[in-house]
Amino acid sequence: MKRVGLLVLTLMLLLTGCRRYAGILPYAREIEDMELIRTLGVDQAGEDEVAVTASGGSSQEETEVVSSRAGTISAAVLALQGEGSSYLYFGHVTQLLLGEGLARRGVMASLDYVLRDVEMRLETALYLVRDGTAARAIGAAAADGSATDRLEALADDAGLTAGSMPRTVKDVLAELDRQGASFLPAVLPDSGLTAAGYGILKDGALVGWAEGDAALGVNLIFGRVDADVVEVTALDGTRTALRVVGAATSVKPVWQGDTLTGLKVHCQVEANLAEGTAMPDEATLTALEEELACTEAGRMAQALELSRTLDADYLGLRHSAAFRTPWRKEALLGENGMAGLTLEATAQAAIQRSYHADG
Amino acid sequence: MDQRHTGGQTHPHPLREPRYPGAITLARLEEIFRDCVDFVRRTVWVGDQPGRSLTLCYLSGMVRMERISDYLLRPMAQDQTLAQCPGVVQMMERMRQGALYNLTVEERDRLDQVVFDLVSGWCVFLFPGETTVLSCFVGTEEKRSVSAPDNETVLKGAKDAFVESIRTNTSIVRRHLKAPELRIQEQTVGRQSATLVDILYIEGITNPHLVEQVAAQLRDIDIDGVFSTGAIEEYIVPAASTPFPLIQYTERSDRFCAGLAQGRVGVLIDGIPLGYLAPAALGNFLQAPQDKSSNWLLATVLTVLRYFCMFTTLLLPALYIAMVTFHQEMIPTRLALSIIAAKQNVPFRSAFEVIVLLLAFEILQEAGLRLPQSIGQTVSIIGGLVVGSAAVEAKIVSPAVLIVVAVAGIAGYTMPSQELGGALRIWRFVLVLLSSWAGLFGTVIGAAVLIVHLAGIESFGVPYLTPFAVGTGHNPREHVLLRRPMPQIKDRPSALKPRNRRKQR
Repeated sequence: MKRVGLLVLTLMLLLTGCRRYAGILPYAREIEDMELIRTLGVDQAGEDEVAVTASGGSSQEETEVVSSRAGTISAAVLALQGEGSSYLYFGHVTQLLLGEGLARRGVMASLDYVLRDVEMRLETALYLVRDGTAARAIGAAAADGSATDRLEALADDAGLTAGSMPRTVKDVLAELDRQGASFLPAVLPDSGLTAAGYGILKDGALVGWAEGDAALGVNLIFGRVDADVVEVTALDGTRTALRVVGAATSVKPVWQGDTLTGLKVHCQVEANLAEGTAMPDEATLTALEEELACTEAGRMAQALELSRTLDADYLGLRHSAAFRTPWRKEALLGENGMAGLTLEATAQAAIQRSYHADG
Repeated sequence: MDQRHTGGQTHPHPLREPRYPGAITLARLEEIFRDCVDFVRRTVWVGDQPGRSLTLCYLSGMVRMERISDYLLRPMAQDQTLAQCPGVVQMMERMRQGALYNLTVEERDRLDQVVFDLVSGWCVFLFPGETTVLSCFVGTEEKRSVSAPDNETVLKGAKDAFVESIRTNTSIVRRHLKAPELRIQEQTVGRQSATLVDILYIEGITNPHLVEQVAAQLRDIDIDGVFSTGAIEEYIVPAASTPFPLIQYTERSDRFCAGLAQGRVGVLIDGIPLGYLAPAALGNFLQAPQDKSSNWLLATVLTVLRYFCMFTTLLLPALYIAMVTFHQEMIPTRLALSIIAAKQNVPFRSAFEVIVLLLAFEILQEAGLRLPQSIGQTVSIIGGLVVGSAAVEAKIVSPAVLIVVAVAGIAGYTMPSQELGGALRIWRFVLVLLSSWAGLFGTVIGAAVLIVHLAGIESFGVPYLTPFAVGTGHNPREHVLLRRPMPQIKDRPSALKPRNRRKQR
């Protein structure tokens, strides 16, 4: 009886709220008292401060944008908490936007915050705001829906448009740690958050942009081309649309003795005839394939040229080569420099079928 | 006045043996059955000689009058050889040997026996000057006819459910199991009710230690009477400190017989239309009667579904509280936003809402059970639909909580065993309280304690979590989670330690 009484008293003690200070048990907080932050933006504010902009709400339709600034992201987030009556919950942040100014100074502090914060997730998608700030981008998007919805749509369409592929904080952190460089998708600070290629990071700071064909080359090297359309001219002069439906890339190191002199990137492209005549004859088909291969090789070459110019292995080519020749792993991964290497891009295209009814 | 109370309990009161000592006399019988309006005594002449008279005693209502008249009184009146017997002893012997047409005629020499014969529907002939009597079974067989089971209905299968008469039940079992090796041992339980309890098993298959264990548990029962199933269940189940059932019951005779053929021990209780099977593990309570009649694939899917429902009814409310109150990051964003929208303006905390609704659910269920069926349905409709929807509209409870509690409740109804469902309901409350205290941490602690608890209990030597937690050393092909096709199940469950493991060619 005494034991039962003791147990009841212990349970009653647990209900008093004293447990909050025990530090062992999780902290209870009702979900209806929260506002779920879904998009977070970080910008450089002046010389020593950062500005944090958060977008979210307590319903799917409602979007509220709040912002604050402080010396660190943690302090700025704490200042945000004090602004409203609801608790801002960052466990559902799915996108992190970094302003260009901040990225040029360095992104490691922002990524480190995500890594350390108990609510933030490493799976958060990371975006760079080109020619603007994250606050401006979030504000512009909020005026026409929400930044979250727009960025989610952008990520969903990445394979279709081949414009920019989503990258997570985990991807970028791992690549920066492994190869000293990485890339992340960029958006413009307009209401539609238009995709603007990729920003290239080296040693934790923004050093360049991959845009246009170079961005498409990045997608090709990573095989993220689900439905890219390439327009080529057939032998008879008609414009033909080829839908690229797959790409597989391999990286082969070039050695001179024991010295690495270059890397050959070869891409096997699969495409379908989307528009034009029905399935053409063999000669026309071969010509179309060659022209497609030439186009895709050119795109990849632009992406590789950026790597060489910036001396940043942001595509992870050395690692890909090391997978192919693991016995020379040390020589390949001993350094990250790309400036002294000859980077060659080749492509081979295969047109599988035509969408035409007769094809 | 000599009762001394120690610790709130009275002293043991050992059973007096014999209960009615002394010689068998009419005066003694009249004294024992004094103030009993149904006690009847009648003087009967043998033949037409008033000097040869016997005394017939019986309890009216317990005997069938036609039997006494036709099988006992008629031959006594008409059989001249009885009247011509030289002495009472010879007459008694002649009656016992066949002069009476009754099937059962026994000689009794103890008053105890005679008294219990009378209350069991026997009639007694007292012979003048003799210390022994003749006792004839002429009991009435008024009973409910064998009918289809009410609670364990199946589309395909036998329709002969157990009834209240133990002898009818044993006959039903005999009809299903014609093996001469079927053994039926009988014991009497209850000082006042003197209820017959039969132990059934198949010799050569059932582990004799198991039989002895059950018999010993029955022998140890010394209670007033068997008026409910708990009177036997709670005494023969070795570990009573658990809400989980440790002995399986069924009203289906075919299921009972299948259990006996498996190597389990059956118990039948007079007056209770159920058959008990021991031992029973957790898996037995998740099998429905129609599983063996259904296609093996369908039965497997339904069994897996029942296990899923078991976890749902047990964990869903606790997980809801944990996720909504402590671990909001676990909820998909859009669902979290829906929950937030639904909970706006609801004044109560999530844990309180869940606990109150669970209690309301239990109250509704209890009210529905206690009332007649037609009113019970009305209560369910008013309580469940009207009050539920009104509470949601009035923002007293949130729709999400209502859905969680309703889903958990309905999932609990898929349990084939009501006892298991009841145990899960109790543990559901425990997990909800732990979850309200420490979120997933508390839920996991509760689940771990539950697993440890289940792993620690046994039913007649068989671990309760067999075969999940206990390796039997054999490939378990019996139906637990997956039901294999019957031709592939060649062995009896090894956990039962049957004398003969193989059950088919």
